[in-house]
Amino acid sequence: MAELRLSMTQEARTVLSDLLRLIAPAASRVSVNRANVPSTDEEIAGFWVETLTAQASEEARLLAVAFASAKGDPAVIVLPNEAQAHAFLRSLSAVRMALRDLVFADITDAQLESSEDIDDESLPTEKRHALACYACFGLLQQSLISQLCPEAFD
Amino acid sequence: MAKPKLKPEIKTETLVSAAPKWNVVVLNDPINYQAYVVVAFISVLRISAAEAKKLMRAIHAEGRATVWTGDRERAEMLALELQQWHLNSLLEKDG
Repeated sequence: MAELRLSMTQEARTVLSDLLRLIAPAASRVSVNRANVPSTDEEIAGFWVETLTAQASEEARLLAVAFASAKGDPAVIVLPNEAQAHAFLRSLSAVRMALRDLVFADITDAQLESSEDIDDESLPTEKRHALACYACFGLLQQSLISQLCPEAFD
Repeated sequence: MAKPKLKPEIKTETLVSAAPKWNVVVLNDPINYQAYVVVAFISVLRISAAEAKKLMRAIHAEGRATVWTGDRERAEMLALELQQWHLNSLLEKDG
């Protein structure tokens, strides 16, 4: 598979990188907290928590490196293979989860599912900013999937 | 008088109980896009895009769907892999 590319304006890269720096430490915690770890078997539960914690750290590192190395305008993130693309998709999902739990906890699931319909004029600036970033991370995912697996779309 | 030879009759019965099956269930979530869920299913469950879309639609319509059923060890592994894709997966004993 040929390398995959994600482009964004330099301004978007800066804004998203700044948000990632803020949210990354909490994103790891959210990712593990949200997991439905089996409670009946201590050994399995321990293994799950260990695996998910290690993955969360790796996801934070991957995003930080990818955004830091996206130079130029438009800034381009290059993912050399399918495994890296999958990891990047998962990392973006983790950040969206963290934003959902930490910033939009008061927005209902139904509202969030059609987040483009949210009247963001009524939101405080930080939340509006975070919502825009949430949408941008989603767009990056969609762009990556359209290159990686176009048949995933209806 | 010769005694008749008695052949002891031995009956054996083996009771086999099949190991219980486990379901890997995925719940709907408002965060991950439908196409993302399809990619996750293709990658983790090793199924076609058409099958993955069918499962994704069932989850979207019903709020949840069983995406795999089988032995416990494999079910645990698949549920964990789906969690690594940040899908809301859980394990349930079948039946």
